[in-house]
Amino acid sequence: VESLFVESTKSSPYVHFDPQLHVLEIRGESYPENAAKFYAPMFAWLEEYFASVDNDQSIEVNMEIVYFNSSSSKVFMNFFELLQDAVVAGKNVVVNWRCHEDNETALECGEEFMEDLQNLTFNLIEIPGD
Amino acid sequence: MTFNLYDFYLNLRRGGIIFCFSGPVSQSIVEGIGETIKQKMELEDAGVGVTQKVFAIFVEQMQNVLNHSVERITDESVKEGELRLGVLVVGQEDDRFYVFCGNKIEREKIGFLKENLDMLRGMDKEQLKNLYRERRKAVRGEGSRGAGLGFIEMARKACKPIEYDFSLIDDNHAFFSIRVII
Repeated sequence: VESLFVESTKSSPYVHFDPQLHVLEIRGESYPENAAKFYAPMFAWLEEYFASVDNDQSIEVNMEIVYFNSSSSKVFMNFFELLQDAVVAGKNVVVNWRCHEDNETALECGEEFMEDLQNLTFNLIEIPGD
Repeated sequence: MTFNLYDFYLNLRRGGIIFCFSGPVSQSIVEGIGETIKQKMELEDAGVGVTQKVFAIFVEQMQNVLNHSVERITDESVKEGELRLGVLVVGQEDDRFYVFCGNKIEREKIGFLKENLDMLRGMDKEQLKNLYRERRKAVRGEGSRGAGLGFIEMARKACKPIEYDFSLIDDNHAFFSIRVII
């Protein structure tokens, strides 16, 4: 599996999925015109990736989303549920939801995801402001 | 001249409207205007929380126009896909910001929209939160453009129930407007 790399735009995040380091990163804003379509390559990549890695593989997911719209929210939930399935299948997945300490909305959104994903290790990490 | 721009400008000022848009909406319009509104509010020290809420509601409303307005311009040369027509204003009233948006819809959609919005109008913040989480979990990987969460998201960020209106245009169409006070 080759790494997946997507450059950020005003309304879509930087995406870097590294199959060697087993680190998946999504950073930036997320309100593309069509979230399902934008993230479709990411899901295709994950399917291939999960099929190729060892069952007990440790995987780190770093998400730092400044703002996301409601359709991205739906896509992220699908993403986390997919990760949760991988955990149930034996993989060791850790999600780090990172946000600036003054971005209360992002923090609350992280908390709500965490509450809905009981089988996934979901860390809330506050980044100190300057 | 039938349209006096100065009168229009004065009306906007008197109405407390700080931003006004009418015309074809594209994703780059959403991005550009969104950034501008954010900048303006930051310069006026509106507060991070309020600015984020106004921006989020603006995005949901404009993307509703982008996905659902039946007034559209379709052309092979338009790279971003379709352009759809809508009207949007951001205003201030009694120290509160509001985002007010309208577009043409099919009359047959009225019942569904009304039912949905009336239900949300009757819910408190906790009920809205639960509904949002319930709907977000339901149906995996659906291909629909809007996930149906937009109205709930707006209701959660609003300080009052969402206001809406339908003006009948002809046998098949109506003008749908929605106002969210933050």
